[in-house]
Amino acid sequence: MTAALQVWPAGWSRQLRSSATMAAAGVVLVLLLWLMAIPLALAPEPIGNNAQYFAEGTRVTVQLTLVAGVSGVLIGVLAALGKTSKVAVFRWVAGIYIWVIRGTPLLVQVLFVYFALPALIPALKLGDFASACLALSFNAGAYNAEAIRAGLLAVPRGQIEAARSLGLSPWFTFIDVTFPQAFKISLPPLVNNIVALLKDSSLAYAIGVVELTNVGNRIQAATFQPLPILLTTATIYLLLTSVMTQVSDAVERRFDVEGKLA
Amino acid sequence: MSVLAALPTTSASSPLITVEKVNKHFGAAHVLRDVCTHFNAGQVTAILGASGSGKSTLLRTLNRLEKHDSGRIVVDGIEVCDDLKQLDALRAEVGMVFQQFNLFPHLTVLENVTLAPRRVRKTPRAEAEAKAMELLDRVGLAAHAHKHPFALSGGQQQRVAIARSLAMAPRVLLFDEPTSALDPEMVKEVLDVMKQLAAMGMTMIVVTHEMGFAREVAGRVLFLDQGCVAADEPPEQFFGAQTNERIRAFLGQIQK
Repeated sequence: MTAALQVWPAGWSRQLRSSATMAAAGVVLVLLLWLMAIPLALAPEPIGNNAQYFAEGTRVTVQLTLVAGVSGVLIGVLAALGKTSKVAVFRWVAGIYIWVIRGTPLLVQVLFVYFALPALIPALKLGDFASACLALSFNAGAYNAEAIRAGLLAVPRGQIEAARSLGLSPWFTFIDVTFPQAFKISLPPLVNNIVALLKDSSLAYAIGVVELTNVGNRIQAATFQPLPILLTTATIYLLLTSVMTQVSDAVERRFDVEGKLA
Repeated sequence: MSVLAALPTTSASSPLITVEKVNKHFGAAHVLRDVCTHFNAGQVTAILGASGSGKSTLLRTLNRLEKHDSGRIVVDGIEVCDDLKQLDALRAEVGMVFQQFNLFPHLTVLENVTLAPRRVRKTPRAEAEAKAMELLDRVGLAAHAHKHPFALSGGQQQRVAIARSLAMAPRVLLFDEPTSALDPEMVKEVLDVMKQLAAMGMTMIVVTHEMGFAREVAGRVLFLDQGCVAADEPPEQFFGAQTNERIRAFLGQIQK
């Protein structure tokens, strides 16, 4: 897919193009979520009469992705810091977390949070949506941690030495010097993970969250018309990931001060 | 210039940095052996020596980029140790210029220079930028303030790195082979800036292979050999009738 960035006037700066693309993608996403029932309603049965249902499922899918995406990145940063920490206990905790999450299926994790966690800790009896968010966040966090760790390790040692020798505290060294450079390096694998997350959010249907896949499945079960329904479901996912890659592309270009991206 | 007029005016004889019996090992290698020396305010010292003689390591122990295993280093009354607060305070007073420049590639030239004053000294942005522009003007790069480091030549990047260190108004500047990564035609522009600083009374400790610079600008040459201070004398003497066999061998190698 080509970058939407190229449609902006040639005179605009890289930053401006990037901001414009992000703003435009945001608007497209809101319009899509808000108004998608209208064009869908024009389609023949079994899509047209279920347009509202599809729209509702799409909104839930986007909500799951946004919540788990944001918290997954935060968890990923923390776990990456843990794994690169000088303190052995932090490395140990982060290592076990990543090992367990990457070594078990997401479906099992979703089921575990919804069914098994309340049995373990009664206070953690969560609703279906919250359970799905929790499982997806921690799942994405583990994969993000490795992407961010790779970025942190790729920042040259001299950068940290320069920052520290200017008197910057470890905190400002991280915030101003290490993290921005690490994040830029981690961005492509992070985007991979978030696109995967959008699609993996469909596993929430196993615990009854009425997201897009669940909607499609339910309509199909009632109408026995798999072809139009699964085509519609897949098309909506494709639209969502397309908007998402435009945003990530714009973010990547914002960081591309050297003009490496064509 | 007002920026450098603000430099501390300690009398030229008081030791700003004292190094006492410092030892350092890298694994089995004993790279600094009982090094004792001191550096006075306002003095320009060139540290020379063959590669592996410990000259960069000595420089890097002064602001704790390397830990010394034993001995004592005191910079401007602050002992170099592991205490983080003390270390940050020390490093704010000790500027460092690296062989590979180590500019922050994601920031513009101006942001590179203003970052530390804004974060460490809490200087307001406008004030930090005004001072940074003044310094960039000094090193001849005011016109490049809004570029990113990748767009500059090596010599220009190193001059930005010097301006970045000066922005903290340090009491002493450490140079770790500042011209070794530069193309020959860019060496001069960096050395010229360093000469200018020396002329203004900046305390400088320079690890270098530029014998011309050591001879012309330095007031003192410290020659390290296998982790020991083998000579500590004025350049006229060092480059003159040298009696030390190892130094003669070293100078012979360099001049070839």
